[in-house]
Amino acid sequence: MAVDTIASRAGTVLAPIGAVTPPTLRQLRPMILPVAAAGAVLAIWQMACVLAHIPPVILPPPSQIAAEFWRILPVLLHQAVPTTLDSLTAFALACALGIVLAMAITYSPLARDMLFPNLVLFQIIPKVALAPLFVVWLGISSESRVAFSAFTCFFPVVISAVVGFASADTSTLRLCKSLTASDWQSFLLVRFPYALPAIFSGMKIAMTMAVIGVIIGEFISAKAGLGFYILYASSRMDTAAIFAALFVLCMIGVTLFGAVALAERYVRQHYGRR
Amino acid sequence: MAVAQDTILTSTRLAGISETVVHFGRTIGLPAGFAVFSVIAWELLCRITHISPELLPAPSAVWDVLSGNPRILIEQALPTTIEIVVSFAIATTIGVLLATGICSSAAIREAIYPNIVMFQVIPKIALAPLFIVWLGVGGKSIVTVGVFIAFFPMVVSTATGLVSAKPDVLQLCRSLTASEWQSFLLVRFPYAMPYIFAGMKVGVTMAMIGVIVGEFITAQAGLGYIIMFASSAGETATVLAAIVVLCGIGLVLYGLVGAGELLVQRWFGGELPAGGVI
Repeated sequence: MAVDTIASRAGTVLAPIGAVTPPTLRQLRPMILPVAAAGAVLAIWQMACVLAHIPPVILPPPSQIAAEFWRILPVLLHQAVPTTLDSLTAFALACALGIVLAMAITYSPLARDMLFPNLVLFQIIPKVALAPLFVVWLGISSESRVAFSAFTCFFPVVISAVVGFASADTSTLRLCKSLTASDWQSFLLVRFPYALPAIFSGMKIAMTMAVIGVIIGEFISAKAGLGFYILYASSRMDTAAIFAALFVLCMIGVTLFGAVALAERYVRQHYGRR
Repeated sequence: MAVAQDTILTSTRLAGISETVVHFGRTIGLPAGFAVFSVIAWELLCRITHISPELLPAPSAVWDVLSGNPRILIEQALPTTIEIVVSFAIATTIGVLLATGICSSAAIREAIYPNIVMFQVIPKIALAPLFIVWLGVGGKSIVTVGVFIAFFPMVVSTATGLVSAKPDVLQLCRSLTASEWQSFLLVRFPYAMPYIFAGMKVGVTMAMIGVIVGEFITAQAGLGYIIMFASSAGETATVLAAIVVLCGIGLVLYGLVGAGELLVQRWFGGELPAGGVI
């Protein structure tokens, strides 16, 4: 038994040296299956459109959407710039304000008792309804969209950061105090690393909500941006163009989300090494 | 001796009561006090600096609208509430059913689940104009937008819950020759309940967002329509009054889901000592 485990351990240690074997089908399964499912849906969609003669105004086949996508790609990229920039600005604002407020809440019990229940309440109410008010306050320029979007994605950041800061190991904090670490040091070296998983999960929610906020803002008031373009295309009943714009928007959403996930991995590795 | 013990007992009980009063005052009184203080500060700011009511009406002006014409607000709140409830109900039903289907086989789960998670990330609200192209202007497309937005968190959290059942308990079921269906109904489903309710809480807020955005884009009635109409007319007090009503609806619906969770927890708790089987 013991020999067996030693041998298997040796095997696992030794194996990587000579093993640059290509990944087996079983290992690739989690990649292949979802892609195959998505491909199957696209194929069925294409066949349904062609065989059932669905009018392209209602549902264009994927091939037509792809053709339209290549045709209007320059326009789409041009419209994607303000949407992406607004989303990123709103996200950055929400994260900065959210983390600062969470720090204040963490260090002042009075502030926590006063503000936190109200913040949780704000998390529940439909903040989307305030979008037209931001237009009244800030006009139809991109400031109103950034402010509205930052407002919607601010709450998840604060709440998850507060929960994260509170999750620090109390015995580690006590150790810091007994080693005469300053409040700032124990924050930077203990509370912050402990809070990182929670902060990043809040930031992931915020990133998706930032894009949603900007799109809603563009629906209501805009002269540029993908949300504007989608509404414009839908008023012309140009369904293929709507889908093409949606595709670009999905790419933006996935890329921004992926960037936050990558940043999480990088930061966690950085803190893990120390 | 016994009397002394009695007095000690009562005094500790009294201390306990006063402690709960202080605790209650701090947890309820402080946040509520802060909210009231903010509203008063807002009112004073509006009165002292004479901000134009089109930009920021005072809370008293919002109250005037609320108390002045409650009938119109209630009339407009009715379609919005119905649309929210209907789209939430449809999203919950389809979401739980699809999650059950997904979790019935490992291959199906592996094939579909990553795609659904991907859909969680993309800004689905952008599809709202498409539903209008498909279903026309009106309640049907608004409900569909709500369903579409609320559906994905339901599926994801239900699926997470269904696979979170303890393997020990499932093994026990198998060794007691329980059928797949029995072990689903008696083990997997109760274990998934907290996740389903977590999904429903996200879902109900999402359904609200979907319905309101739907009403922004296309509606001839509803609170979203009132908000758009009043804001373009510069009647900011009406906008805020409609938002207050919307927040009320949102809190009530969220509270109902929370109450449902408590009820179901108690029900399943009586039937199955949750988490304490093994």
